[in-house]
Amino acid sequence: MMKQEKLDKTIVVPGDLLSEDATKAAEGTYVENGKVYSLTYGLADEKEKVRVIPLSGKYLPAIGDVVIGMVSDVSFSNWKVDINSPYEALMHISEYPRRIESSEMAKIMGVGDLAIFKVVDVDPSMKIELAPREGQLRVLRSGRVVEVSYTKVPRVIGRAGSMISLLKSKLDLNIFVGKNGRIWINGKAEDEDLAVKVIKRIEREAHTSGLTDRITKLLEEEKHGVHEKR
Amino acid sequence: MNDVIAEIKRDYIYELAKRSERADGRALDEYRPIQVEVGLIGKAEGSARVKVGNTQVLVGVKIQPGEPFPDTPDTGVIITNVELVPLASPSFEPGPPDENAIELARVVDRGVRESGAIDLSELTLPDGKVWLIFIDVHVLDHDGNLMDAAALGALAALVHATKPCERYGYGPDAPLPIKESPIAVTAVDLDGEIMLDPSLDEETIASSKLTVISGLQGALAGMQKSGTGTLSVEEIARIVKLASSKAMQIRDDLFGGSTDG
Amino acid sequence: MKNGKRIDDRLPNELRPIKFEVGALERADGSCYVEHGGNKIMAAVYGPRAVHPRHLQQANRAIIRYRYNMASFSVEERRRPGPDRRSVEISKVSRQAIDPVIIKEFYPRSTIDIFVEILQADAGTRSAGINAASVALADAGVPMRGLISSCAVGKVDDTVVLDLVKEEDNYGQADMPVAMDVRTGEVTLLQMDGHLTLDEFEQALELGKIGCASIADMQREALIQKYRGKEDE
Repeated sequence: MMKQEKLDKTIVVPGDLLSEDATKAAEGTYVENGKVYSLTYGLADEKEKVRVIPLSGKYLPAIGDVVIGMVSDVSFSNWKVDINSPYEALMHISEYPRRIESSEMAKIMGVGDLAIFKVVDVDPSMKIELAPREGQLRVLRSGRVVEVSYTKVPRVIGRAGSMISLLKSKLDLNIFVGKNGRIWINGKAEDEDLAVKVIKRIEREAHTSGLTDRITKLLEEEKHGVHEKR
Repeated sequence: MNDVIAEIKRDYIYELAKRSERADGRALDEYRPIQVEVGLIGKAEGSARVKVGNTQVLVGVKIQPGEPFPDTPDTGVIITNVELVPLASPSFEPGPPDENAIELARVVDRGVRESGAIDLSELTLPDGKVWLIFIDVHVLDHDGNLMDAAALGALAALVHATKPCERYGYGPDAPLPIKESPIAVTAVDLDGEIMLDPSLDEETIASSKLTVISGLQGALAGMQKSGTGTLSVEEIARIVKLASSKAMQIRDDLFGGSTDG
Repeated sequence: MKNGKRIDDRLPNELRPIKFEVGALERADGSCYVEHGGNKIMAAVYGPRAVHPRHLQQANRAIIRYRYNMASFSVEERRRPGPDRRSVEISKVSRQAIDPVIIKEFYPRSTIDIFVEILQADAGTRSAGINAASVALADAGVPMRGLISSCAVGKVDDTVVLDLVKEEDNYGQADMPVAMDVRTGEVTLLQMDGHLTLDEFEQALELGKIGCASIADMQREALIQKYRGKEDE
């Protein structure tokens, strides 16, 4: 077996032995004969519990998640919404803040429209129900949406929101990060371009340390460059 | 679900097009980086892997002696096939070639055939057989503009190919008689703006797509319009001119001007 | 075999050179390109994703689909495209080799699609395909109890050998592909074509376990390298 340097987070593959103490098993692991093994390709994080943070994979919604969804179809009483998951989600006509007729649905939100939703129910067969995030239905009519792996969302947000605050402070735009890996940005064209660049970089380097510093540096450099170019 | 593009993305691409810009920062007539690697499949008589940006195709050329078609006994045979294998895109399904695969194959074939790239009369064999040339395009990664990648792969694989004469007792091995160099250039029309080498999104959003295949002297060897939109005569003329000169540029960059080996 | 060396100069227990490249494709959720001797294989995974047609879906778990396909130019005589009976059988046994380790219950009503394209064939394609598929599944983030590793053992000139090359496959006395979860030692694929005495079979299985263990190390290393390389940026 190859030796590996012990970083505070080690890269593991399915079946790697993580601990001989079954009580330490947490997400991304399984227990067999009293030992803890990795379930996915990811980063093993060992504190009081051992868990594996996946490096890739599909987003599975949980009740309470706030996501950016795209309408893929409008039926008689439901909007069918693609939330970048193996499962299609539905928003029932009754979830719309005011009473509307079925015929009005497509005008409010049609195929190809993006909006911010809250996941209000997930049943055992993965039937997913959505509602507007809070009160008003926020349909995104301008700006851009960037997609990253849902596994990188925590990094885009940063510890206690540090990364997202950094972006908001350096760039003149609105940013909304959906739990499902879709990120909406809306502002000046140059700032949007830079935000996309930064987000893609965070996605690529999410597993490394010192990222916040590198991103701060990148933003400083690019911001000066941007002003000179235009 | 895969084919629905978000409205704001569509709007964004059109906005950029109006300013003669593209989402990935390219100029309207700029190609993504093109990489051609020959010889990857040693078992095939010729092979080439082409990447245009992230689009990736692998072309294998197999050359075997066989029976000519009954009505053309002194002519070699070219058979072109494209496999849109499911691993290349979430929207490709297993099964026999669909209309897209067939269209791609027939256009690539036309380019090779009509340009006279291979003189089929030079493929006869002393015993009444002829060389059968199979051009098999195996698409590996679909990120837009499969046509140009496939056509380029076919040309590169043919140029790289060696007739396996020794194996069958027809004398020493020799390259194929390549007389021309057909290069396909595909353009899309986005609300009046013409762009070359469409990305996956541009291709999905565009109403019309036109592929122009041209040879060494700029002569046209094939054309194919696809999509449900329309093109005016002026737009077509503009595209043909753009495509011919772009084909020259691509040929220069990759083959140093000609494909005479 | 001459002087204990095989037709390609290998020892009886020696694998051919193997190279893994993780994440070779852009569109697929997970992918792996493998070169194993003269074999060149691309494996890709899409999923979990919605099942079409709907009637194939299972209410409480994911279905696994595996498609082994050979490119027309992958073999000596150009092959007509599309599945033949051999490809269909290989697809089935390969699927059943990997299925046991996948945690299908995490993804009800979905499918995990595995595609293996043989771009160049040189004996042992189904094993190399399974090795690539396992890595592609990990790359896609599919939860599994472990990686499945596979190799073929055979008998040539009355000697049990590991990892048959084309000539050995054609003229040898037995061909036995095997796949396993190396960590647990559980066998998930076992086929045998030819004749072996019970004794020879036991030797072959042992040799197969050793071969699979080496391959498991390589699979693991390739996956780790994908991110290791990035850390040095």
